[in-house]
Amino acid sequence: MKKILLIALALLSCNIAFAQTRVTGKVTSSADGSPIPFASVVVKGTMTGVATLENGDYVLDNVASDAVLVVSSIGFVDQQIPVNGRAKINVSLAPDTEALDEIMVVAYGTVKKGSYSGSAAVVKDDAIKDAPVVSFEQVLAGKAPGVQVASYSGQPGSEVQINIRGFGSFNAGNQPLYVIDGVPATSGDWSSGNISTSAMNFLNPSDVESITILKDAAAASLYGSRASNGVILITTKKGKAGRMTSTFKASAGFSYFAYNNYPLATDSETEELHRQAWYNYGTDNPSVWKNYGSLDSYVSAKVEENYPSKDESKYIYKDWEKVLFHTGIAQNYEYSISGGTDKSKIYASVGYTDQQGVVRIDYLRRFSTTINLDFNVSKRLKVGGSVQYSWQYQDGHQDGWASKDNPFFIWKVVLTERWPYAYKSDGSLYLEPMNPNFSTTNPIASYDAQVNDAWQNRLIMKGWAEYAFTDYLKLKSIVNSDWLYVHDRFGWLYGHPNFYAYSDIGGYMSDRHRNINRMVSSTTLNFNKSFGDHNIGAMVGWEAEKEHYTMTRVGKIDFSYMGATESIFGANFQDGYSYSRDDRLLSFLSSLNYDYASKYYLTGTYRRDGSSRLAKKSRWGDFWSVSGSWRFSNEDFMSNVTWLNDGKIRASYGTSGTLPSDYFGYMSVYEYDIYGDAGASYPANLANSDLTWEKNKNWNIGLDATLFERVTFSAEYFNKKTTDLLLDATVPSTTGFSSTLTNIGSMSNTGFEFAVNVDIIKKKDLNLSVGFNWASLNNKVLSLSEEGETIVSTPYVWKEGYSFYQYRTREYLGINPENGKPQYAEGSWYEKGEIVDQDVIMRDGTVVPEGSAMPADGYNYTPTTRNNASNIILEGRTAIPKGYGGFNVDLGWKGFSFSMSWAYKYGHYIWDEGVEQLENDGYKSYGQNIAASQVDTWSETNKNATVARRIVGNSQGGYYYSSRYLKKGDYLRLKNLTLSYNLPKTFVQKMNIQNARIYLSGANLLTFSGLNIDPEIQASGYYYYNTPALRTVSLGLEVTL
Amino acid sequence: MKKYILHILIVAGIIAGTSSCKGFLDTTPTDSVVAETAMSNLFDAGVVVNGLYTDIKYYTYYGRDLIYMGDMRADNLYPRVIGGQSATIYTLEYESEANTYFGLWTNFYTTLMRANTLLENIEKLEVESASDVATKNDYHGQALAVRAFVYHDIARLYGYPYLKDNGASLGAVILTSPASPSEAKIPRSTVAETYAQALADLDAALPLLSKSKNTGHFNYWAARLLQARIMLYKGDYAGAYTAATDVINNSPYSLVSNANYLDYWGHEGQDETVLELIVTNQGDIDNDGGFIAMFHHLWFNDLNAAASIIPTKKWRDLFANTPNDVRAQMIQYDDPATGVKKTGEYWLNKFPGNKDRGYTFRRNNPHIFRITEAYLIAAEAGLETGATAAASNYLNAVRKRADPTAANVTATLALVQTERQKEFIGEGHRFFDVMRRGGTITRNMATDEHDYAGSSQYKASFSWDYEKVVLPISNNERVSYPELQQNPGYKN
Repeated sequence: MKKILLIALALLSCNIAFAQTRVTGKVTSSADGSPIPFASVVVKGTMTGVATLENGDYVLDNVASDAVLVVSSIGFVDQQIPVNGRAKINVSLAPDTEALDEIMVVAYGTVKKGSYSGSAAVVKDDAIKDAPVVSFEQVLAGKAPGVQVASYSGQPGSEVQINIRGFGSFNAGNQPLYVIDGVPATSGDWSSGNISTSAMNFLNPSDVESITILKDAAAASLYGSRASNGVILITTKKGKAGRMTSTFKASAGFSYFAYNNYPLATDSETEELHRQAWYNYGTDNPSVWKNYGSLDSYVSAKVEENYPSKDESKYIYKDWEKVLFHTGIAQNYEYSISGGTDKSKIYASVGYTDQQGVVRIDYLRRFSTTINLDFNVSKRLKVGGSVQYSWQYQDGHQDGWASKDNPFFIWKVVLTERWPYAYKSDGSLYLEPMNPNFSTTNPIASYDAQVNDAWQNRLIMKGWAEYAFTDYLKLKSIVNSDWLYVHDRFGWLYGHPNFYAYSDIGGYMSDRHRNINRMVSSTTLNFNKSFGDHNIGAMVGWEAEKEHYTMTRVGKIDFSYMGATESIFGANFQDGYSYSRDDRLLSFLSSLNYDYASKYYLTGTYRRDGSSRLAKKSRWGDFWSVSGSWRFSNEDFMSNVTWLNDGKIRASYGTSGTLPSDYFGYMSVYEYDIYGDAGASYPANLANSDLTWEKNKNWNIGLDATLFERVTFSAEYFNKKTTDLLLDATVPSTTGFSSTLTNIGSMSNTGFEFAVNVDIIKKKDLNLSVGFNWASLNNKVLSLSEEGETIVSTPYVWKEGYSFYQYRTREYLGINPENGKPQYAEGSWYEKGEIVDQDVIMRDGTVVPEGSAMPADGYNYTPTTRNNASNIILEGRTAIPKGYGGFNVDLGWKGFSFSMSWAYKYGHYIWDEGVEQLENDGYKSYGQNIAASQVDTWSETNKNATVARRIVGNSQGGYYYSSRYLKKGDYLRLKNLTLSYNLPKTFVQKMNIQNARIYLSGANLLTFSGLNIDPEIQASGYYYYNTPALRTVSLGLEVTL
Repeated sequence: MKKYILHILIVAGIIAGTSSCKGFLDTTPTDSVVAETAMSNLFDAGVVVNGLYTDIKYYTYYGRDLIYMGDMRADNLYPRVIGGQSATIYTLEYESEANTYFGLWTNFYTTLMRANTLLENIEKLEVESASDVATKNDYHGQALAVRAFVYHDIARLYGYPYLKDNGASLGAVILTSPASPSEAKIPRSTVAETYAQALADLDAALPLLSKSKNTGHFNYWAARLLQARIMLYKGDYAGAYTAATDVINNSPYSLVSNANYLDYWGHEGQDETVLELIVTNQGDIDNDGGFIAMFHHLWFNDLNAAASIIPTKKWRDLFANTPNDVRAQMIQYDDPATGVKKTGEYWLNKFPGNKDRGYTFRRNNPHIFRITEAYLIAAEAGLETGATAAASNYLNAVRKRADPTAANVTATLALVQTERQKEFIGEGHRFFDVMRRGGTITRNMATDEHDYAGSSQYKASFSWDYEKVVLPISNNERVSYPELQQNPGYKN
């Protein structure tokens, strides 16, 4: 790595000896005469060049008297100036009007934004660079309409889930394709099952130049069989011609829970609630207290047994929150260089991140480095390459329902204030399980006795060459190797409450090594030429992708050495195996663009994919798109409409696909197992040789406009229809299998998206702009394998006409004020006109007496007990939001800049598994915590209570699934806020510093929601005690030399 | 300039050459075997035969759930703490809406599918030598015996006892070859038809099976004993008597001695055992081994509420007057005075773990057939067919094995039942033994604080007239196959 850097630096300093003079001057803008900083001044045909200073000045030594200077800057038209022996050359550059049309990165190339007829959103590095995050993905929340972002967990480095325009797949995944600098990359969830980790963590957000999110078919179809969930194009930073700059950046911050998660009943309330539960249980079952003499002594004994009173003389008690959690400290250090000449450019960086989580054992460390080089070998040949390497170590804990390993679960559910922390006598930790439901012991003792960590090593190496046959015909080849190695460990060591989980001797340790090497090679031929007002662009190419995956797992048990932390100490194998997998994709691609006079645009794309995941007869698929746009603002008749700067109507239609996630789902295979001392094998699947990809038909119409040079807005409507959905179709168990992977069913996603940005103030020293975006989503299952089929995937149901995340459970109707018992809707379904076989109460309260006809379709809402209530489809209650998006405010005043961005989501319901333990009406009355919402219980004297009569083992209560698990998920959250100050130039330049900036950045600072748990929950709406989101505040310094 | 074009062509050529060759898109799995080649020789067929047993020993079948169904629904065992799945089984409060404890149904059909697939493929194997033919026949016979075994279990769990209505109630969905999803949607047959299928399979299997001991696998004798059991359930006492006595008289199996009785349970391949399933800690099959240590007082060294089941006072009292009975010594008092993590409960210390493999209480081989069962079937069937003297001999052999001080008795049906109750605790028999003869199961809640099933909400006593003595077809099952007939008394 070092060597490459040295060579690169040597190249940059190359000079050519000649009859030479020093040339100085100033580069200014012809529009207002203001200086242009960082403009490139290069001697044509050489590698000699500099960038202008902040005031536009440049000094160029050793310039041949007959040389020609090329002066360029982004947003201005290039100029070539013969030196002719002059020593002072001032240059005035004309603004490039076309430059208003920013260049954006799209599938297999770049386009001018104004000419683009697809639907795509761009997020620039400004929005990413200062956020205190591990992965850039966390910053995307609320930034682009139609993009939902949610972290799996608040543990540092946890996977971030991105959903673009809804959900197009049942089980082949709903995550977008990630493409880094033109090459499809390994992405997504690389969790071990015990610790959540994302393959995208490797990328230092500061190395990202821009993100383009491709949403519709016109934008994404060129990615064919993997484009259905949209595509995220990541462009990393490249060197810019001009003076070599180096930037040092450091930040430090603090994090803690962003939200008051699960407020609990107080200690005295909890005791009272346990007492009620045992009292009511004893009242209903007199036989249980016959050995106790009286009900009262039974209740007292049971409460004391399950919720023992504190004994301060014997034990030390502590605030468990303080014991288990701390304010996490996050640090980040980066150093980067960027620069070059017109012949060669470099960008290189190193970065180190150290983030602690709230749980005392959670942290992430990452070292990352990147080098990006480009060379112009000749007028026609350009070559380049890049190396990105990252090392990451994550230490964490098991999320979800893990009564011995998840501190958040233990804290909220199990640990009561009355659980002793330590013995007073000698200060040793109290290690007895207190709660008979959970054999949880003091988690502090198990912190050191568990292993839950993951290493990630990732190396991406790329080389490319581009040859220009003429100025309009170019051939480009890329070879890329993307290697990801994840090693994760999971173990229960001496002292952990699960020490004996696998054996009597005790201890368990498992290592997994996963390697994935993805080689991609592509070659494209590009044609681009104008014939008068006719501009034609065309591309043909091919791409081959080869993925080799290996996995090795070793699990060992029986650790006889107490300090053992590695599996070598285990005496016996618990499990050990390895295997590999190959995946291949071969593609041919092409596109054709035509525009006439920058008014009318027409684009077509076509891709043919062949995949190894499908049988020979069905492995090739074709994907295409057509799109067009009309830039009416460029029409002559619009030339008088001065308030309209730009206006465009666009439309697209196209197809894309999703491959089965199963590599060999199409073939029938036998699984191998052990029986006794010999092997055993048996058929493992019900094969489907007709398997093919999911097909996506996608159309989009949109309107983009810029008004008064201040307001830009865009509005669009999309309709995405997916057919041949891959589904583990439930089959009768009598086949010997539970399901078979089948292309059945179809689903649609439709929605509107709207984004507006207003530059309210645009002055030299003061600017203020606000932006707002909103998107709606209507997701609907159109058909399953058979008409009227219902596929239950508790708590969801898939059924024609309902959304993918439609909830189905019992309907809870509140308590009966007469006896305090929970009531549920009976739930029988009746169709309109059906003669009812019992008295039916409809949802709106209409009573339909037995024997009469139902006036409309509906469920019977007659209140009944839980075991007599059926699960019903809760129409209108889904995890799909009615609307979501964000808004942002950016303010700049002199050296200060302030920006904040908010994200919101509304109209959806979440499924909160916390109800089972915390709001269960007394089912679990063995001394665990109870949610604050449970205090208002029914009794003879409190008949208007909201919570049922509490009873031990309550078979009617909240422990059982019902609509009580559904909660309105609406929220508004201040995702990011940054306040930044550029130290005055006059001050910093004295110290030979180009620029110095300090900034304060915060994440998740404010949250508004009616939920009692952090509202930022994965898109499925399902919440299961994952560590909630964190609030982070960080202070940083950036110095550019 | 031409040089560069050449360069590009070379580079492009290399790239194209390395990746676009023929077969680029053909890959095969390395972690599983393509079905066409999975059973192409006799050796591999033996591996596939082993695959018949791996799910039967799983905890959703003989590893746990079938034991729950046979012992906990009766008066032998109960769960120690209120709540959880075992309590639901104990109180017979299961509903068609839940699916957690009905892994049984899917497990039955997974095993049937394996047997049917093997039966379909075994004929295609070409073997020549006599020993190979015998091996092939034995494999064939094992598949048939496993199929008969599973069909009988379906009939006794999902159908009413045969003698209640001569097998008129609903039994299994009978499939005798691998079925596609549409082929698998056939209606349930009656219990009588299910029994007929099982007996026909055994008739076909017996001539094929080897008579040698084959630990962990069906042989002739295990199939013969299964035949005796099915005939006993069916009320074909003459047939049951013939089959059971055949096993007693002609097989290599014999009763374990009194002295070795307690130790017997920790060893593999004993002469007492006619069929056991082998549980090991290898191969990610089930981490907890067959029995999830459900009888042990320290479950994973923790006092665990939900996993533990203990013998009822009623069962313990069976030995009140016979302190010398070796089976009474399996009752172990967990005295709180002797240390921490003691519960003050009486535990069943019957299954110590497979010591031959160095395991602890956590991994026991499920004992499916023991020679003792042949004796007790012979006793019961003997009584029913008038062979009282022989019946008494068979019964006394078992009684005196357990308690050498016991006096000889003249066998009665009640004595045989009591002996079965004492002998087979934890082996999944008691519930079926009472039900198949139209008896009544009664729990004595009044005598035991833990016996909460006595509270007002639960049924204390029931016979085959109670609809919940048959399991419901899970609603999940009926989502993809709504025509599958539900058992009476359950919500559709």
